[in-house]
Amino acid sequence: MQLRYVYSELGQGLRRNLTMHLAVILTLVVSLTLVGIGLLFQQQATRAAEHFGNQLQITVYLCRLNDSNPVCPNPVTEAQKTEIEAVVEANPEVADYRFESGEVALEKAKELYGEELFSGDNPALTAEDMPQTIWITLEDPEQYEGISSAVQGLDGVSRVRDLREQVGPILATITKMRTYALGTAGLLVLAALLLVANTIRLAAFARRKEIGIMRLVGASTLYIALPFLLEALVTALVSVALAGGALAAFLRFAIGDLADNLRFVPWIGWDEFWVAFGAIAILGPVLTLLPTLVLTRKYLKV
Amino acid sequence: MIRFEKVTKTYPGHPHPALDNVTVDIEKGEFVFLVGSSGSGKSTFLRLVLREYRPTTGRVYVAGKEINRLAGWKVPRLRRDIGTVFQDFRLLPNKTVTENVAFALQVIGKSRKEIKDVVPETLELVGLGGKGDRMPDELSGGEQQRVAVARAFVNRPMILIADEPTGNLDPTTSVGIMKLLDRINRTGTTVVMATHDAGIVDQMRKRVIELENGHVSRDQAQGVYGHQN
Repeated sequence: MQLRYVYSELGQGLRRNLTMHLAVILTLVVSLTLVGIGLLFQQQATRAAEHFGNQLQITVYLCRLNDSNPVCPNPVTEAQKTEIEAVVEANPEVADYRFESGEVALEKAKELYGEELFSGDNPALTAEDMPQTIWITLEDPEQYEGISSAVQGLDGVSRVRDLREQVGPILATITKMRTYALGTAGLLVLAALLLVANTIRLAAFARRKEIGIMRLVGASTLYIALPFLLEALVTALVSVALAGGALAAFLRFAIGDLADNLRFVPWIGWDEFWVAFGAIAILGPVLTLLPTLVLTRKYLKV
Repeated sequence: MIRFEKVTKTYPGHPHPALDNVTVDIEKGEFVFLVGSSGSGKSTFLRLVLREYRPTTGRVYVAGKEINRLAGWKVPRLRRDIGTVFQDFRLLPNKTVTENVAFALQVIGKSRKEIKDVVPETLELVGLGGKGDRMPDELSGGEQQRVAVARAFVNRPMILIADEPTGNLDPTTSVGIMKLLDRINRTGTTVVMATHDAGIVDQMRKRVIELENGHVSRDQAQGVYGHQN
């Protein structure tokens, strides 16, 4: 296939409709960035939930060595653990539960405060200092009094933490921000789609003479549509690149600042960025190519 | 080459069919005038040949293909066998004469070498040798129509369709275009020309098909424009 015409048309088309293309790109950049931010918040919520447990969970802290709580003269024994487990098992409010060892708790602490605090000759904390815990997932988040009081008095239990008080607001905030970002992105995506549609209409009109001749002399539909598709692809790629930059800046500065100041929450990093970027790198071209495919079929009908 | 079998074409929203039970057979290498007043169905006839529309009922065969059944993606192939010339030339104003003719070959994927060989040859054939570098607006109407004919013929189609090709030209210039179409016809290309130009039809003495309100009212070998008494 001779593509010389296609390439010259691509360049011409991009120049001719420059303002429309800029409008498409700007709208796409903002909407893709917001989609990316929404996805980052989504992952942030997941990470926080993994760390703290989600709102359906309560945590039972078992007595540790040198526990400051007076009900814990000694660390919890295996026999006590078995007894506690039996109580938890039997309680109808409990949907599921799991033990978490001191080692796992230490790993979580390292994740938040950095490895260096816990290594060397005189670490601030060791696994022995960390309490063993039972993470209980409730059948119903409102029904927790029964299990809470049932476990509270048992030997070997230091205290019961209801995470909903502490984690609830954080998770709620993150979830809200995710919803706002994705909601706004949804509206902007709609605007971007309409702009793409309009751009194609204009471009098809500007090229109506060429298109008419191409149809008459028997150029294939793909050949006629190709300049439009390539234009769509170019705007998409530019938009994705710019949105990726904006997203990286957001992660580096906005989230980075938060992470420096609020260290008790595990914050997302570059791994999560690449997930979000991958999503918008797929979404961007889809958003421009899909309406182009549909509309070129309509406007360039053979 | 072109066969209409009991073809009726009704446009949506119009009570009367544009073509009504038309049966016509045009052989390979024929030269046919399609005459009739405006709205008699000439344009519909040509558009059916180009498969811009499908007939409502009946069958249309073009270049051995039944166009009713032709899949959409095969239509471009069909059109490569048909050249088309219009009253308003339809040249690209920002391209030279050579580029305008070459465009028709480029967009169907012909090689650069083939284009370089065929385009000057075709320009020579239509009498525009040496004017390849001109822009369309530097040419007279007759010359512009010659460019359009060159573009329609450059791919050596089996059929040439001309929709009022002399409609915008003065009589002298029109004769030149008719001579050109006649020459193309002599290469074996079937020519179908819709026209209102009585003088030309009378002079050429070719087959005349007259349409009236969508019916074939006359089909006459070596005919003239009006009814013969």
